[in-house]
Amino acid sequence: MERLRLCLKNLGRHGWRTRVILLITALGAFLAFVSENLIEDVSRKQSDMFGRASLGHFRIVSKSIETANTFGYYHWESEDLLSASEVRSVKSFLAGLPEVSGSMERIVVSGIYYGDDDQEHGYTAVAMDMSAYDRDFTDLYYARGSPLTKGDGSACAASWYEYERSKSLAIGSRYVFLMPNEQGEYVDRYETVKGGIDFKTMPKSVIGLSGLYFDLDGFRSTAGYKDDVASEVVGFLADARTADKVLPKIAAFLATEHPRLKVSSWREYAPIMSEIVVGFDVMMKAVEAILIAVCVLLVVKLTTFSIIERYSEIGTMRALGFSRTDITLQFAVEGFLVIAAGAALGFVLGGIVIAVLHASGVSNNLTFFEYVIGSGFRPSFHSGKAAIVAAVFAAVAVLAPVFPALRGGALSILETLEKR
Amino acid sequence: MAKAHGENGILISGLRKDYRLGSTVVSALKGIDLEIARGSFVCVAGPSGSGKTTLLNMIGLVDKPTAGTVNVAGRDIQAMGERDSNRYRSTTLGFIFQTFNLLPVLNVYENIRLPLLLHKEVSKAERHERVMDLARAVGLEGHLEHKPFELSGGQRQRVAIARALVTQPLIVLADEPTANLDSLTGDEVLGLMESINAQRGTTFIFSSHDPSVMRRAGRVVRLHDGRLEAA
Repeated sequence: MERLRLCLKNLGRHGWRTRVILLITALGAFLAFVSENLIEDVSRKQSDMFGRASLGHFRIVSKSIETANTFGYYHWESEDLLSASEVRSVKSFLAGLPEVSGSMERIVVSGIYYGDDDQEHGYTAVAMDMSAYDRDFTDLYYARGSPLTKGDGSACAASWYEYERSKSLAIGSRYVFLMPNEQGEYVDRYETVKGGIDFKTMPKSVIGLSGLYFDLDGFRSTAGYKDDVASEVVGFLADARTADKVLPKIAAFLATEHPRLKVSSWREYAPIMSEIVVGFDVMMKAVEAILIAVCVLLVVKLTTFSIIERYSEIGTMRALGFSRTDITLQFAVEGFLVIAAGAALGFVLGGIVIAVLHASGVSNNLTFFEYVIGSGFRPSFHSGKAAIVAAVFAAVAVLAPVFPALRGGALSILETLEKR
Repeated sequence: MAKAHGENGILISGLRKDYRLGSTVVSALKGIDLEIARGSFVCVAGPSGSGKTTLLNMIGLVDKPTAGTVNVAGRDIQAMGERDSNRYRSTTLGFIFQTFNLLPVLNVYENIRLPLLLHKEVSKAERHERVMDLARAVGLEGHLEHKPFELSGGQRQRVAIARALVTQPLIVLADEPTANLDSLTGDEVLGLMESINAQRGTTFIFSSHDPSVMRRAGRVVRLHDGRLEAA
């Protein structure tokens, strides 16, 4: 106990060095603790999203449509559209599958809008009537940027398709892009121009949309769309876990009956999503590793400085009868204490941050990461991850000071006393 | 007061210490034969570079001789292993340094008590008693909470003396203990060492080249160029 007290007093003596090591260790432990917990949360969230929503639906489209690495933003040409007979046949087949809870044909429209930067941006939109489905869709978004929930009314869009046909659109004509206002009402306030939408007339809060989903029925009834062709048929699984069983059946049906069509699902993006999480994980681990390496180097360097400064003290203690092991232990314990204290501080701060994030939730406004973490999540404390991080820092605390401490213990009494 | 070396005295035979400086060999001690009886108050005198510190280092197992032996209480201390050497230093010897060598983070009480960390056999109560006895003996009972930087040079050396005595050693080695002190304070420190030598029978071997210090010694061992001049 008295020796421990001596170590603590020595730490106080090397004030700035102790504080530097303490801060670096605290930062490393804090980042490691928080990122490991968040990665765990993101992984779970992603699994949940894929299991519950994203994998819960599939799309039947023309084989000519590129679906790989598009994250659902497909590009349609007129020749890619499904004919009315194809739609009927596919929907009829899907209706016969007990695992499929429903299906609908959707129309995709493309357009341009002006973003905050006054640049033109392309977009695609699909019409869908959410009131037809008794479930939430966390992967489908509309202009307000929030998930569609059951009971939402249909939205509809002026059609690029229509524009392509007539090559003209009159401002104020029926080709009106209907968007929900902040009260959720659909009003024809957004007039179309250039076959798309003049987003300059829209409030900034809704400009950031990148995709709209509408069902064909809604599009027909609201926008006056009359053609019987559809961009795709989307189907829903009652239980996303049946995907492995159902999708091969649909693929087999299409191969036989409609060889120009294919079934695509979000499962093809699962590896990409996983890679994103792994990439984030690797990036954070690299940061953690760098901080730990810096911490180890600092401990080695600063402990060596301490030893050089305390040569006379080492010599005195050796002369008083303290062994090499005593000296080694003293410096090793001093190093351990400061790293352990820094790590503990980092854990406490990390715990507070996780608790605050848990209470407030993490929101996400980046469209791309919606596929990874949705619109947000609530981080939790994961004891397994905390134990791993604690074990790593415990190992650093034990091992980092050992080398300089051994060097300190190995010094001869004469050498150290002569340096005074 | 002084007793024969067989009863915890020191017998040095043919002690030689050579240092190699590049291709040159420098002899710090050139065959010293010396007997110091227990309870002696011995001054090792000589000019700078005469080998005083080297001789004390040999007795204190701080350095190893090139040749010769040092017997303390009948044991050849040079033949001791690492563990026995540490034990020898902590039980048989006390060190007083020219520059005091107190631990700056410890106060007077803790500095005096420091060597007792190695003496598990001494109870906590006895440790306290010993420290307080010595603090009183060196006149520092009123400064127990003070850190070394709050003390004068003489006070620091008195702390060092108390620290050297707290393990009740047979021998105290003091390398120029008054060199960093003014003459008055140096006298006080020497007086303190004398009284402890007289009261406790502790052997004091101290080095100095100051004639006023030599005059206080019970015996003066003169070294010149690594050889004994008179014993």
